[in-house]
Amino acid sequence: MEPPQSRIIAALNGPQTLGNSAFFWIFAILVLIVAIFFPFYASRFQVITASNLAISSLLALSLCLIWGYCGILSLGQASFYCVGGYAFGVVGINLIESAGNTNLALIAGIVAPVLLAAVLGWLMFYRRLKGVYVAILMLIVSLLLGLFMRQTADPSYAIGKAALGGMNGLRPESAGDPGIPNITLGFGEAVAVFDGRSAGFYWLVLAILVLVFLGLRWLVNSTYGYILIACREDSERTETFGYDIRLVQLSVFCLSAAIAGLAGTLYTAWGTYIHPDGFSVAPNILVVIWVAVGGRKDLASVIVSTVALGWLSLELSRYGEVSLLVLGLILIFAMMVARDGIVSALGEQIGRLVAARGSRREIVACFKGGRR
Amino acid sequence: MQASTLERVVPGVVADVILDVRNVTKHYGGIRALDGLSLQVVRSEIHCVLGPNGAGKSTFFKMLMGTERPTSGSIHYDGRDVTRLQAFERARLGLSVKFQNLRTFGDLTVFQNLFIPLRRTCGPSEIPDRVSEILRQVRLPGVENRLVRHLSHGQQQWLAIAMSVASRPRLLLLDEPTAGLSAEETERTAEIIHEVNSEGMTVVVIEHDMGFIRSLKARTSVLHYGRLFAQGSFDEIAANEHVRQIYLGTE
Repeated sequence: MEPPQSRIIAALNGPQTLGNSAFFWIFAILVLIVAIFFPFYASRFQVITASNLAISSLLALSLCLIWGYCGILSLGQASFYCVGGYAFGVVGINLIESAGNTNLALIAGIVAPVLLAAVLGWLMFYRRLKGVYVAILMLIVSLLLGLFMRQTADPSYAIGKAALGGMNGLRPESAGDPGIPNITLGFGEAVAVFDGRSAGFYWLVLAILVLVFLGLRWLVNSTYGYILIACREDSERTETFGYDIRLVQLSVFCLSAAIAGLAGTLYTAWGTYIHPDGFSVAPNILVVIWVAVGGRKDLASVIVSTVALGWLSLELSRYGEVSLLVLGLILIFAMMVARDGIVSALGEQIGRLVAARGSRREIVACFKGGRR
Repeated sequence: MQASTLERVVPGVVADVILDVRNVTKHYGGIRALDGLSLQVVRSEIHCVLGPNGAGKSTFFKMLMGTERPTSGSIHYDGRDVTRLQAFERARLGLSVKFQNLRTFGDLTVFQNLFIPLRRTCGPSEIPDRVSEILRQVRLPGVENRLVRHLSHGQQQWLAIAMSVASRPRLLLLDEPTAGLSAEETERTAEIIHEVNSEGMTVVVIEHDMGFIRSLKARTSVLHYGRLFAQGSFDEIAANEHVRQIYLGTE
């Protein structure tokens, strides 16, 4: 009988992710320790920025899951992010005073985008739409939602105490009502408030990112992950093996929307702000760039590239609009040197070096051992 | 009625029919790929389908597997009308296909390629044993961890066959299983087909290679312009003057 910790590691490792060696996990834990202690040696502004980068990484992971693993490119991933953000804000503004927490708002921020994804996914995948049609349809959905939200400045566009606010962004309907709340978890008096500018919020987001990352690593290396990959490689062939690929695509699309919605919720709480510009072309393309440059077929690569490119964008933002241009050039460069992503390519190189030292054999053995 | 005697099935005799294709038509725009095709396959037989290029053979398979729908007509499998069923539903009823272009998963290993068809019916702990068993059956032992795109064409052809028999289907459709194979490899492919057939699988094979069809000793249907042109034992077909004409293009 194997010890339980090695079974957990075995379930997190597999051919669908890079970094299955002890070396990788030790390195990952070191990075995590550095990240946990970050607020003790960084400035307040840097911590706030780091929270934002972690939220972006969540959004990137959501696209990585459907695009990198299931071959569904969506150019409208930011729409789930924003719908989640708006849903959190609307429910939060309405309930923060009476309930004293944002538990329901948080759930709304996840459920609303999942419902949207379920409807869209049903329309697309059960009609066997694929490839570029899905990508463009999702972009159009995002743009239409943005278009709608832009013209909601009129006070009649209010849901309870929350005014959608058009180009002013989501806000309370009257001055007496509360604004978009902080994440407030717990019941009654026993609540924890996570101010978006605090180290506590940073740790919360970091913990969620780690959990989502580990959860996805387990998922993509499970049987479900195999079927995702098979759909990515050849969905029609996969169907002829008896898998209902429509259901596979719909389910992964909804899961991805849940993660994107969670990210959007955290973003809205982070800045207590959500705005229709989030639905426009630039944010949607930005996610694609983060994922493509890092390596869409590997979760860890996507986090690395999102943090690196997000940080670069912020550094470049002081020079005006140049940042998207630079990121576009980086994307072109990345596609030329490493079609499956720069970080993944580097990771594979490091993996080969590590494998030369013998730990590769364990991985193969672990895989052949017939994990689930 | 015993399957072995069914090579001599004559019209009007009620046989144990596993697949009954009734008057199937498929239009692609103005082109009629299938034009009222009717054909029966008897349980446990090997059945060859041949015909010149463009006769509708591959379209026929797509209709059978359900990756495309006929414009009109119906397909009955094991006494059940499956015309409206999705491909995955037909697969679950026991149909399986190897497409003409192999459609293996090139970027995955052999083990992973077989994992996908096996996992639907097997528990994860049985899979490694089943994989080595199937690989032995298709004469590819020990290649579990090779990337599929690094295999030779012949090996990929056998892997594709292995993937389609992995789920132990009742009706196996093989579209050109010897395309691009050497004479020796073709012979081994015929052995593999006889082996899975002897386990009880009904096999329908699309082929061009006459020597190969002869070695299968199978009942043969000839398609021409999307219709059933002739049917009989291979020797009867080979001796048929009209079949020769459509193949050689002489009038």
